[in-house]
Amino acid sequence: MSDINTSLPVGFEALSPFVEFWAADTAAKRAQCRDSSDEADRAAFYSAMNALISDALTYLDAKPLSEFDDSDQRLMQLALSFAHVSMAVELQREEEPRHALNRPYMRITRAPSDRAAEQ
Amino acid sequence: MTVPHQFQQSESAEALALGTGPIPAGPYYLDDYFDLEREAIFRRSWLNIGHVCELPEPGSFIVREFDFANASILITRDKDDLIRAFHNVCTHRGTQLVSEPSGKRSSFTCRYHAWSFGNTGELRGAADFERFYVEKKDLGLTKVAVDVCAGLIFVNLDPSPKQTLREYLGVLAGQLEVQPVASATTFSEYVYEIDANWKLTYDNFQENYHLRFIHPRSGGGGAVGPDNPFGYPERYGFYGAHRTQKIWTNPAPVLSATQKLAFGKLVPALMQRGMMNTEHARDYYALFPNFFLIGTPTQHFTHYVIPINARKSRGVIRIYWVGDDMNASERFGREFSMAMARDVHSEDRAVIEAGQRGLNSGALKHIHFQSQEVLLRHLMHNVDAKVQAYKAEKDATEKRQ
Repeated sequence: MSDINTSLPVGFEALSPFVEFWAADTAAKRAQCRDSSDEADRAAFYSAMNALISDALTYLDAKPLSEFDDSDQRLMQLALSFAHVSMAVELQREEEPRHALNRPYMRITRAPSDRAAEQ
Repeated sequence: MTVPHQFQQSESAEALALGTGPIPAGPYYLDDYFDLEREAIFRRSWLNIGHVCELPEPGSFIVREFDFANASILITRDKDDLIRAFHNVCTHRGTQLVSEPSGKRSSFTCRYHAWSFGNTGELRGAADFERFYVEKKDLGLTKVAVDVCAGLIFVNLDPSPKQTLREYLGVLAGQLEVQPVASATTFSEYVYEIDANWKLTYDNFQENYHLRFIHPRSGGGGAVGPDNPFGYPERYGFYGAHRTQKIWTNPAPVLSATQKLAFGKLVPALMQRGMMNTEHARDYYALFPNFFLIGTPTQHFTHYVIPINARKSRGVIRIYWVGDDMNASERFGREFSMAMARDVHSEDRAVIEAGQRGLNSGALKHIHFQSQEVLLRHLMHNVDAKVQAYKAEKDATEKRQ
C-alpha cells in the first residue's frame, strides 16, 4: 500500500485513484506524466476528469488560490494534468505515442502554476 | 503560370521589390556564411533576451548566454530602477562573475580573488588593491547596450550601436507597446535546441503553408479552413528589416471540447483585467533578426531563435500573462494554452531538422519561395543585405591598412 495522501475535497472522491500518478506540482512534471502514461492510463484519467472538470473548477474558484488546503491543491493539480492529457485524447488520438517522442525536446522551464510548487 | 489564390493579396511594392527568383541554399547551412552573419547581424542588432518582469525589484538580476559570441550577459536592476547590462566577466582576469541564471543581489563578488562589483557595474572592492597599477574607476564591468520596449529587454553587443532601440524598431515600437506583453508580470516558457540553422528554424514560423500538413490535429484549425486551406494571411507589412502579417481567422474553427472549455475559462479573467482587446489578436510582429510576437490575448506568445552555430540553434517560446493566476479557472486556462502551443511546436521541430539534414547534403543549390513565403524572402533579403554591407566594410578597412 502506498502511504501517499490521496484525499480530495468532498464530491471528488472518484478521482482519488488518479492522485498518485497525476497530481504533480509543476507543469514540466505534468507534461512528463502525459509522456510516461499509456493509452489505458490516459483514457481512464480523461474519462473520470472530463465528468468532473467543470465542477472541480467551480468548486476551486470559490476560494482564493492562496487559501487552498492540501486536498484542494491535489484537485487543482489533477485539473492541470487534465489540460495536458486532453491534448492527447481529444486531438492527438492514435498519433499520441509518436507525438510523445518529439515533445520532451520542448523543455518546460516555467509556468505560472509552478509558483504554487515554490511556496 | 502562377494562378493567384482567392485569398492571395495583390503584391505590395515592397513585396515586388524582393523579386520572385530562387534563393541560394548555402546561407542556410554553410559555416562561412554564418561567420559573416554573426558579425554583420548578431553582434550588432538589438536582440530580445528577456522581460522586465524577470527583474521585479531593485537588486534583481538575470544572466543570459549568447553561445554564438561566447558571451554571458548580466542584466541588473539597480536601486534607482535602472536596467543595466554588462559582460559577465570580472575585469581582473576575466573570470565569469555570476554563475546563477537569476537572483537578487546588489553586489557580485568574483570567486577567484574576491573582487566585488556593484549592480551598477563599478568595482567596489578588491583585496590588496594598492599593489595594482590601475585605478578602480577604470575597472567597472564592461557595459553592454540595453533598452526596453513593451516590457521586452533587448541588448546589443555592438559597443556603440548605430541606432537606439527606438530608432531600430521605428513605428513598430508604438504598436508593441499596446500589446499585453507590455504589462506582463509573468509567463509560461519552454525552450528547445534544434539541429538547424536559425533562419530555417525561424522561417517555419513565418508561413502558414505548412499548417495543414504538419499540424492537422493540434493547431491547424484557427488559421486555415475550407475557404483558405493554405492559410493565406489577410495582409503583410514591411518595415525596414522587420515585417508583420495579419493572420487569417477561420470563422468556424473546429475546437476540441477542452479547447472550448479552457479558452472559455481564460476569457472572464482577461476581461476583468481589460486584456481581452482582440484588435491585435491576429497580428504577427517579426523583429529583425530573430524574434516574433503574436497578439492573441489567450495565447500571447513570443518566440526567438538564437543561433549556436551554422546548423544548430536554440528557441525560446514564452506565453506572457498579465497578473498572477486570479483563480483556478485562470490557472487551468493558462496551463492548457501552454500545453496546446507546445504540442504544435513539437511537431515543427522534427520537420525543421529533417529540412536541415536535406540542405546539409548540398543536393539543392537553391530553394524556392511561394507567394505566401514572402516573409521568408524578406528575411533572407535583409540578412544578405547586411552580410554584403559588412563584407564591403571589412574589405574597405583591410585595404586602408
